[in-house]
Formats: sequence, structure tokens, C-alpha cells
Amino acid sequence: MLLRLQGAAMAAVLLAAPAAAQDAYTIGLTGALTGPPASTYAPAADALRLYVERLNAAGGIAGKKINLILQDDAAEPGKATANAKKLLAQDNVLLLLNASLSSTFAPVVAEAKRAGVPVLFASSVCPKEVYPPADPLQFCSTAFASTYDSRATLAFIKETAKEPVKIGFSAMAIPLSRAEMDFAEQQAPGLGMTVVGKEVIPPPTPDYTPFATKLKDAGANWVFSWAPWVTQVRTLEALRRLDWKGDYVAWAHIEAEGELARLKDGAFYVVGANALFQDRLPIHQEIAEAAKTAKLTYPIEQLTEGWIAGMVVEAALKATGWPASPEKLAAAMSTLKVDTKGLRGGPIEWTKDNHFRTRQYYRVYRWDSGKGAIQRVKDWTAFDVQ
Amino acid sequence: MSRRPRASGYFRTDYAEDLSLLPTRLERSAVLGLLVVLLILPLVASPFLIDLAAQVFLAAIGALALMLLTGYAGQVSLGHAGLLAAGAFTVGILFKELKAPFFVTLPAAAAVGALLGVVFGLPSLRVRGLYLAVSTLALNFLVAYLGGEYEARRGFSTGIVVDPPSLAGKAVTDARAWYVILLLAAVATLFLCANLARARSGRAWAAIRANETVAQTLGIGVASYKLLAFVISSALTAVAGALFAYYRGFVSVEAFSLFLSIQYVAMIIIGGMGSLAGAILGALFVTLFPYAIEASLGALIGATAYAGLSFAVNAAAFGAVMILFLVLEPQGLIGLWRRLKTYFLLWPFRHRPVGGARR
Amino acid sequence: MQLAVNIVVLTAIYALIACGYVLIYRVSRVLNLAHGELLMLSAYLLLWTASLFAGHAIAAIAAALGLSLVVGAMVYLFLLRKLTGEMALAAVLTTVALGVLLRGVTVLLWSAQQQYPAVPLGLSNWAIALPGGARISLWAGLLVVTTLAVYASLFAFLRLGRWGMRMRAAGQNPLLAAQRGINLHAIYALAWSLSTLTGALAGVLIALDSGLGQTMAIIGLKAFPAALVGGLDSLAGALLGSAIVASAEVILIHHVDPLLSEVIPFLVLIVVLMLRPWGLLGTREELDRV
Repeated sequence: MLLRLQGAAMAAVLLAAPAAAQDAYTIGLTGALTGPPASTYAPAADALRLYVERLNAAGGIAGKKINLILQDDAAEPGKATANAKKLLAQDNVLLLLNASLSSTFAPVVAEAKRAGVPVLFASSVCPKEVYPPADPLQFCSTAFASTYDSRATLAFIKETAKEPVKIGFSAMAIPLSRAEMDFAEQQAPGLGMTVVGKEVIPPPTPDYTPFATKLKDAGANWVFSWAPWVTQVRTLEALRRLDWKGDYVAWAHIEAEGELARLKDGAFYVVGANALFQDRLPIHQEIAEAAKTAKLTYPIEQLTEGWIAGMVVEAALKATGWPASPEKLAAAMSTLKVDTKGLRGGPIEWTKDNHFRTRQYYRVYRWDSGKGAIQRVKDWTAFDVQ
Repeated sequence: MSRRPRASGYFRTDYAEDLSLLPTRLERSAVLGLLVVLLILPLVASPFLIDLAAQVFLAAIGALALMLLTGYAGQVSLGHAGLLAAGAFTVGILFKELKAPFFVTLPAAAAVGALLGVVFGLPSLRVRGLYLAVSTLALNFLVAYLGGEYEARRGFSTGIVVDPPSLAGKAVTDARAWYVILLLAAVATLFLCANLARARSGRAWAAIRANETVAQTLGIGVASYKLLAFVISSALTAVAGALFAYYRGFVSVEAFSLFLSIQYVAMIIIGGMGSLAGAILGALFVTLFPYAIEASLGALIGATAYAGLSFAVNAAAFGAVMILFLVLEPQGLIGLWRRLKTYFLLWPFRHRPVGGARR
Repeated sequence: MQLAVNIVVLTAIYALIACGYVLIYRVSRVLNLAHGELLMLSAYLLLWTASLFAGHAIAAIAAALGLSLVVGAMVYLFLLRKLTGEMALAAVLTTVALGVLLRGVTVLLWSAQQQYPAVPLGLSNWAIALPGGARISLWAGLLVVTTLAVYASLFAFLRLGRWGMRMRAAGQNPLLAAQRGINLHAIYALAWSLSTLTGALAGVLIALDSGLGQTMAIIGLKAFPAALVGGLDSLAGALLGSAIVASAEVILIHHVDPLLSEVIPFLVLIVVLMLRPWGLLGTREELDRV
């Protein structure tokens, strides 16, 4: 009986495994398509899928289609590992993409290393192994970058502030956000700012007011928050309810564009590496049309990250040629230059030692209450990545 | 010990036979057959299935420990994930700080588990039932907080990477090797739990579960046996957590959520309370459940579209299955199996004879 | 002064959620660990009624509250009633499973993104200035008022109302109450409805104040220690317990370490369980029901 149970379950599972097509580039993605953090990663995975479908419809790369396999890991490391094993051993993917929480990185990378397959972090946070000196098999196309984001934001605050800066920080109680805010806290005094507070807020908090109270009482006139969007925005709202009149800077996550319109706060700045849709570049038009035809459920402003991932994948596979192998792909990716057509401040350039990008560009936006629209406060500023 | 009806010709003539684990030849050959299949499996199955089987064995260890505590001793525990996390973090911390090898970290994890067992077993001496369950809930959050603090303060924001253990100088990374290791660990745990259950401790636990006051009147040291249950169960669970850390090569606080505790409780409910085989069946069911759901969703809707739904459907289906078992078949899968067996055994009769010799 | 206001707001949040736990436990000795998910569901239902009654805030909120009453009754009638006679643990585990089910269902129907019901209802949230330089947001203020109103009416109902008396009777001794002619199933269904209603009030107000997401279920769980500290069968105890836990949390956030705010309710819980398991104002019951 036990054996039959086991056998039936195995059969059910085997049915789910698609065979790798012979005449196509096979790539696989493990991501938090569902689960609590899905609102960040699922749109990216969907946009990537859309990009690949469009590319295939237009003939693929030199006539060869791309076979993209999406696996959901719900941000659980155990499932991510199982997904990686399946994609690597059963589907023989050339490239493994990760669009999930950082807790899934280590096991997935370990599996990929054993198989010699490169890993591309698309929409998930860039691990430190992609910065110089870079691990040969790890690459990252995601917009946000720890430490550089803080540097850019602090520089922006310094040049925009009209009076001495008393800065407060707001982080979510996850290691990544805390580490970033710790870094910013260290850097701020060097720029002549006084650090008056740093709040680390656990995710399931019903009321952000106590934390906001501390920041306000400490006399902060600028607050910087680098955390998941929920924390960033609720801290701001709590501060405003306390009648705090200072300026607030946050990272432009994919929800930013929609939320700026909802909050209508003139002193709320978002720093980001992706161009917002309101810039109305031709590439945005392209994305909007594609999304409409495919009837995607996500707002189009959230598709940028996945689209960029698609561009990177296309460029990488093109550079690899045919027949492709993981080694050739990894070699091609180590000297890749991808034109983002305006979605980022400049091209994504990878070198043998730098799998993040040689230059990181930032823009700052805020809501202009006078015009009732999003206004670009600062154009592309470049930071060299060492 | 066993009140199940048997086909015929089973007569016990001494106490040793009464206590034996596999009394009949049929049972012995069935178990042997199962072991043979389990040992042949890694030679023929795909790596994905081997990994799945390894996961089941790992879950079985935790489920057996919880079954011992909740199913046999009757002490409810909702903090299982906290114990697993404690074991995993012990390995992670000892590895990162001291580069300790596995024959140091595994006993250390067991010791940490035992300590936590004492700490969280103490409330069981004062409170019972619901209140005890609630105090174990706190264990989850406490260990999560401590783990998160360690990760943040020591800079392991993406988790702690643990090197695989090395046996005889070679690192254990092969899926098949892990399969065998975890299979042996699961069998060892099963053996340990079975022996505990049929020894004096098992009888004491059964008495405590039935009626604590009466058990005390009979002279059973209720407090010490309760603590024993907690300590052994927690130590086993912590070791399971340590094995988990080595198997995944990775420790992070996000992997040990309240939902994991609920999954383990579901394993023993779905498997059937009070039965060790039930714990294993429950572990098998709960581990394979998400994959089965994914497979069926994929067959129904179409490969890429379903990906967005699978987690939610999983959670919904999991809750629904748990409810169905609790409402319709509180004895779990083992209960279903027993009902099936007795049906065929007693056919064409429907019930056992009243006051007959078969008891 | 702002600190005091923050404590009052957090106390109100926990108290409003805690009275849901107390109502069910007092009447039927069942621990409803799905309370957090139920109040989250009610807040999502508000999102749905908001799209039906766009612009008519009162109608939408009333409809959501009415739906929550129905949901509570249905949970009892179709689920918990089937477990009559089983051990209390089975009922608790069933509520846990129900919680898991509801989480999956809410994500299926509404996705995991953050939602803001205030937007389709056209409601805005502004701050009210209080003496002493403190400020409180409109919805938080409404929540405090609602909590007081709910507790007052519950006290009155249980003490003076006919059905309230029946509920107390059913809670004290179900067998005698049944033999006295009290319809136990109706009483339990009523208790579940009222509990879900108070939870819905909390969920709706929190959602209108700061938004709605999957974390709301965990907030419901955080309020549970408040109920336990005061005594699971005492309403006054729930108020007291909430005050204690909320004060501890806010003061520790302010003066010590904000991260502790997640663990504090449970640490308080453990301490109380060791010293006085039946809570501060609860009845010292025989605790050997498993």
C-alpha cells in the first residue's frame, strides 16, 4: 500500500516535467511567483515570459526559439533547491534565473555551480558575489544595489537639502534592509549629516506610529528608507499623520509609480535605477502594447525589471551562438553589453570581474502637486562600480 | 499491544512475543520487501525523485519526534519549527564561528534541543492542553527573533552557508549518499521511537495521556515522564534540524516559519495520532502534497498560467485536506488503512464479535 | 504625550481583536486560532463591497460587517459543529487549518499585493491634533472609540440581555444549559458571529487606516497573548491584558529596541503562563482539558 502510494505520487510528479526541446535554447527560472513576496517578483517573471514569447513569435534568435521554464518556489529555500535540481538535471537548462528572496540564493547557486551553469539574478537582490571580483557563474541585472543605493541617495540629499541635514533611517526587520541602513548610517556623518535615529520595524506591525514618533521626536528633517515598499510607505504615512513636515526619500520599487499618484506627497522622493513609465519613452510604448495584447494582469509600470531581464537574456543567447552550452554562455555573459533602450541610464556592461554592471545610474522622481503628475527631479547620475 | 484483528493462527505464548515489533511472518517479509525497494530506488530513480525521497525521510524524523510528544504523551506542541531552527542554527553558528565538524555539531544540536525541551517542557507541568500549545507557539517567535538577530549582527544577511559534512575525508554531496544517510537516520529514529513506545516510558505516556490524575495516583512520575517526552522529542527534532542544515547546505531564519510547525502538526494528524507508521505516512503525504497539486494544476490549466496560482491553491488545498481529516477521519491515514483492513478481514461480517476471543 | 496616545491606539487594536478570542472561548471553550485570518478576510470583503458600493462608504462598511456576521455563523455551523464531542484540541487544530485555508483563498481571490480600501471608497485619513502636541489619525481615533463602544455593549449584552445570559450559562455549564432548554448550537453560532464581527471591525478600521495585506493575519495572532494574559474567558481581562502588552511594546520600542516588538507579546505570554496560567482575571479552571 505504501509502495503504491509512493508510486502514484511519483507518477503524478513525473507528468509535470516537460522534456527539453532539442532545437531551442532552454532556460529556467525559479521565483517567488506566489507567496508573500510575490508582488515583487511575479510581475518580473511574467514580463520576462512575455518578452520571450514575443521574441519567439518574431522568429527567436537566428531561427531558434527560447524555451523558458518557470518554476514557483514561493520564496522557500527548500522548494527553490528542488526547482534548481529539476531544472538542471532534468531540463538541462543553459541558464538558471532566480527571481526570489535572498534566502533561496545559496542553495540554488550551489546546485548551479555543481552543474557548471550560470545563474542570472533578475529582479532579486544582487548578491555580493557579482560585484568585483565576480564569481564566474553569477550575474545580476536587478536595479537595486546595496551600498550604491545609499551612496546615491545620500549624495542626492546632500545636494538638495537647504539646511543642515538631520537624517533618520527606516528599515524593515530583515537582514538585507538592516544591513543597508547600517551602511547608510555609517556614511552619513562623512557627508556632514547628523544621524538622529534608525528604526528597524518588524513586518507584521499594525501601527507604525510608535516608530514614526521616535523619528519625529529625534528631530529628523530628512528620512531615508531602503526596505520593501510596505515599510517605506507606511513609515511615511505615519510620519505625515504626526504632522511631520520633513522630506522623505525611498527606493523606487515597482509599486512606486502607482503609489506616487496615490500619496500625492510633494516632499516624497523616490530614487531608482529604472526609468518610470511617465517618461513615455518608445520602449515603454512597446511594453504597454505587448502587455495589452497578452492581457497581463499586472500594471504595466511593474514590468520594467522583467523586460530588462528579457533583453539581457536575448543579448546573452545571441552572443553565445549555436550550438549553445553553459560554458559558452557563461563566457559570453562575462563580456556582455546590453542596450536597455532608455529603461536604465546606460547600457548594462559586464566584464570578467564585474557581473553587476560597470556603471550604475540613478534618477530621482517626486510627485508635483502643482501639475498633478510625477516630476523628474534629477536625471541620470552615474556611479562607477569598483 | 496490538488490538487489530488478524487473519488467523496468531497466538502469543510469551511476553517477548507480545512486545515484539514484527510478530508475524507477513509483517516481517513486508518490511524486508520495503527496505529492499528503498535501497534499490536510488539506483533507478531520477535525481529529482531521490531528492524528494530524501526530503520525505527528513520530514519523517521530525514527524516521528512530534508523534512521540503529541501522539503518545499527549503534550501538544505548536513550536516544532522553532526546534528545527534551533538545531539548524546550532550547526550554522558552530560552523561559522568555530569551524566545528559534524560529529561535534550534531551532538551539540541534540544538546541544544534537549535544553529547549526542558525550557518548554516546564510549562507542561503547570498547564495542559490549549495553554501548553500556546506556550509552545511562543517558541517559534523566540527562536526566529534570536536567529534573525544573529544573522543581522554577524552580517549574514542572506543566510549562513554551511559546508557539507565530510566522511572519511570526502565531502558528502552526492544525492544518493544523502538518500542513504537520511534513510538510515529515519530508520534509526523509528527504531528509537518504537522502543520508547513499547517500554515503560511508552506505557507511562499512555497513562498520562488517558488521565493524568489517575496516572499520578498510580504512582507514575507524571512530571518526570512529561519532561522526558519533551526532552527526547526536542533533541530528535533539533538533530533533524541539524541534518536539514547540512543537507541544504544553508541556514536562514525564513525557512522556519509558523507554517512549518503547522505542517508538522498536520503530518501527525493526517497520518494518525498515536501511530508511528502514521507519522511516516503523514510525512510522506505532506511532503508530496505540493508537488501533487502542482502536477494536477499543470495538467488542468496549462504550464505557465498556473504558476501564479500554485501557492495559493496549495495553501487552500492544504487547509481543506487538514479540515477534512480532522472532521471526517480523526484517526488519519492509519485509521483509513485500519478500516480498510478490518473490512476485508471481517468480510462478510461488518463488526467484530461482541466480547469475543479476538480482543 | 504622543507616547500615551500610541499606547492607547495599540491597546485599542489588541483589545478589539482580543475580545473575539474571549467571546468564543468563554462560550464554547474553543480557541479560535483562525481569528487573524477571519478578520483579514473581512477586510478583503470590504474591498469587494467597496467596489460594489463605490463612493458610498457607510453602505460598503455596513455590508462588509454584515457579511462577516454571516461568515462567522457559517464557520460554526458547517465546520465546528461537526466536531462536537471531539477533544478540544481537534477543534483548535481545525481552526488552524481553517486559517491556512483562508490565507490561500484570500490570495487566490485578491492577490498578495497591498490593498487600500480607502481609495475606492473615497475616504481620506487625516490627523487630529490633541492637547499636549500629540496627534492621532482619524481612523485610529475611530478605532479607539469603537473599541470602547464594543466593550460597553458586550458587557451590557452579556449581563443584561437575554441571549447574553444564555451565552454565559452555556459557557459555565453546557450540559445544564442544554437541559434548561437553551439551544446550544444557536448560542455557539451567535458567539462565532459576534466574534467575527468584532474582528471585522478591527480589520476594517486597520485597513482603512494603513492598508491591507497578508500580514494582517499575524497581527491577529499577536493580539492573542493579550487575551491570554488577561484570562481567556474574561472580557475585562482582555482589556487589561491588551493594555499591559501594548504598553510593554510601545515603551520598549521607544526606549530599548524596536525589534523586540515582535517577540514581546509572546515573552509576556510565557511569563504569565508560568506564574498564573489562567490569566489575571480569568477563572481558575481545571486545566486538564486536552
